Amino acid sequence: MIRRLVVLALLIGGAVLLEPLRAPTEGVIAPRSLFLFGILLLTADTFGALTHDAGLPRLLGYLLAGLALGPTVTGVVPPAVLQDLSMMKQLAVGLIGLLAGAELKLGDLRHRRRAILWILALQVAAVMAAVWVVVLLLHPWIPFLTQLAPVGLMFVALLFAATLAVNSPMVTLAMLTETGARGPLARTTLGVVLVADVVVVLLFTVTFSLAQASLGGPNAGASAILVQLLREVLGSICAGVVIGGAVSLYLRFVRHELVVFAVVAVFATAAAAQALHFELLLSLLVAGFFVENVAPVRAEPLVETLHHMAVPVFVIFFALAGAELDLAAFASLAPVVLILALVRGASILGASRVGARLGGAEPIVGREIWSGLVSQAGVALGLATIIADRLPGLGRAMQVLIVGVIAVNESVGPVLFRRGLSRAGEITVA
Amino acid sequence: MQTTLAALAVLTAGYIFAYLLFDRLRDRYGYVGGAEYVLLGVLLGPHVTGLLDAGRVQDLTPIVSLAIGWLGMLLGTYFRLPALALLPPDQVRMGFSEAVATFAAALGPLLLLFRYLAGHGWTDSAVQAVTLSAVATLSSPAAVDALVERARLRSAILPVLQFTARIDALVGVVAFGIVLAVFHRGDVAPGIRPPTATEWAVINLAIGVASGVLFHLFLGPRDASNEAGGASRLFVALAGAIVVASGASYYLNLSPLYTNLVLGFILANSGGPHRDVTRLLLVTERPVYLALLVFAGAAWSPESVDLLFLAPAFVLVRLAARFLGAKATAELVAPPELRTPALARGLLAQGGLAVAIAVSYTQVRPDLNPRLILSAALLSVLLFEIVAGREGVSLVQSLEEAEPGAAAVAAS
Repeated sequence: MIRRLVVLALLIGGAVLLEPLRAPTEGVIAPRSLFLFGILLLTADTFGALTHDAGLPRLLGYLLAGLALGPTVTGVVPPAVLQDLSMMKQLAVGLIGLLAGAELKLGDLRHRRRAILWILALQVAAVMAAVWVVVLLLHPWIPFLTQLAPVGLMFVALLFAATLAVNSPMVTLAMLTETGARGPLARTTLGVVLVADVVVVLLFTVTFSLAQASLGGPNAGASAILVQLLREVLGSICAGVVIGGAVSLYLRFVRHELVVFAVVAVFATAAAAQALHFELLLSLLVAGFFVENVAPVRAEPLVETLHHMAVPVFVIFFALAGAELDLAAFASLAPVVLILALVRGASILGASRVGARLGGAEPIVGREIWSGLVSQAGVALGLATIIADRLPGLGRAMQVLIVGVIAVNESVGPVLFRRGLSRAGEITVA
Repeated sequence: MQTTLAALAVLTAGYIFAYLLFDRLRDRYGYVGGAEYVLLGVLLGPHVTGLLDAGRVQDLTPIVSLAIGWLGMLLGTYFRLPALALLPPDQVRMGFSEAVATFAAALGPLLLLFRYLAGHGWTDSAVQAVTLSAVATLSSPAAVDALVERARLRSAILPVLQFTARIDALVGVVAFGIVLAVFHRGDVAPGIRPPTATEWAVINLAIGVASGVLFHLFLGPRDASNEAGGASRLFVALAGAIVVASGASYYLNLSPLYTNLVLGFILANSGGPHRDVTRLLLVTERPVYLALLVFAGAAWSPESVDLLFLAPAFVLVRLAARFLGAKATAELVAPPELRTPALARGLLAQGGLAVAIAVSYTQVRPDLNPRLILSAALLSVLLFEIVAGREGVSLVQSLEEAEPGAAAVAAS
């Protein structure tokens, strides 16, 4: 392992040596970005092996690698490079969405629907209530909330609560791929997380428009924003059905070269999502679900191909996500961030246990499912970006706090979930 | 919204129709495939649906560079010194002479065409002519291996064909790498003396050697096959290595193909998990090649003059050079038992490396006729892939007729 770390150091040194041999150039993808992307991949692979040897999830290593090379620690990978590589992250998100949707079996959902719905409902309600109360209680120590009027404060706290109620389909799927877990805990967690993704995005749209209206935004605009966000969600679902149809046609008539097909499908969907303002992850999740459960074709070859592609895709996604983590933001609000993360975790623990009991889930699911619901990653970060972009001034400050909590959940969540899967005896891959 | 949905519909329907059409060609004429993916790229690109506009095509650079480097590295792994040392000298002589003769036969007319017909200066003509000659020289080792495997024949000419295809690819990639280094484009940082042509060539080689040594150390002695999910993780490490090497070359406006060729050669000859590396590169070669075709189709922006005159002229030059090279080798170098003019018929398919050279050229030399080079290479690759399957089969049939003993030995 030391040998690999020395090689990485030499590569970074080589990058410095090559620097003067080319004048700085502007391009859509700067040549330097490509080189640094390679170094990021190799570092993630090395750190993944290190954390694995330490009995921790590999994806924690990928995150740490990104963090170590990212702008907030060493700055080897500067923000401009991350911007250049956003397409790669989009590809990773899309492929994960397609795989996640295809992993969601209607039979499984039917079989576990009571447990999934109870856990989902209680988890979302408990997290939202707990975070809402804590933000209201802590607001004197959160500088950007002290100036708000009481009504505005209530709705902004609610917006925090909705954003922190989101789970992470990416982390869940990455952990299931890494551990090979396919038992009741794995299946129930996946069901809850994927359905929660849709439900919480809808809740977010409602709370967002309420918060915006309460902050003195034009009242007439609030309903328009609600309609627009709902349209995005419904648009994503419709687009997912259309894409699922196209995928089914491909599987019906062609069936070959599925790797190339999956990559092209994701890029085409990403382009369409940008043009039509729908969400990439949600639409591909629906597409995967449609192909697996609705279309009259066999989805196994596609699912198998996506599983083969999963490890590189997760490395790319989590290394880039790690590089985007903002440690400075965490440091400035550390006590509040930690309290929010703890309260969120505790409410998930309590609510999911009660939900599992009411839903008639297996005892092991009741005991351990909370560990799979702690993680947050891509979807939550996306919602934080929406807040930053659409609530000028306050939104940026809110994003810093939310990203701080996500950073904690993103780092701790995989470790907890691996431990939970291990206790449930569902880990099949060492 | 309607426009984008219509674009998606055009894309899906167009691709499936093209696939079914080419599937018939595959069944009937042994077509090895590829055109439908170029068509898919064209459908995705800015000229039809616009789903991948020029900016998005540029955003795909990491994937494209990975694909280019992947093919370069795979070529490098073919040249394992212990295996090369066992080859009969006649085979080696024939392979090199065929490749060099084909390259020279293509270079002459192309140089004159660019200098006198297109009116470029000698330097610009040389860069374009050498690039297209490299494309013309290439034969696809994978296609030849597939042909040999299908033939089930123990003819002495088949190993020659396999080795020659590898040397063709080697000569093409090295020539392209050298021309980009010698006629280097791009400024260095202020206050630094620009390297000379020789220095650029050495820098290009040095990046490949340094990458090879470093990745040999990085990969270590691990055996991917014994590790759970080991192949996927080896894929990540290899992808990282290739992207670093390609990125360094691309950063300096040099050839990523050449750098990765050297990297692959070193990995193949330095012990360690070279078998796993080669196996992984081979398994993933086809998706990588097809991804490159899709990208090339999306980036393709032909001008009428390319399609009407220059690109078809290149196809003719390649055909003539291929047969001239093979004929010269048969008459001047080959021993009597290997003297066959039919060698060229087995070397018609160009494969992914030809597209990789053209795409790499468009990235490194966007100032010098990139559309023409890409149009010529794509047209040539697609046309020769259509005829290569049939010609290969007819070559095998003629060998069976000429050497009935060989077929009998293979059958037994």
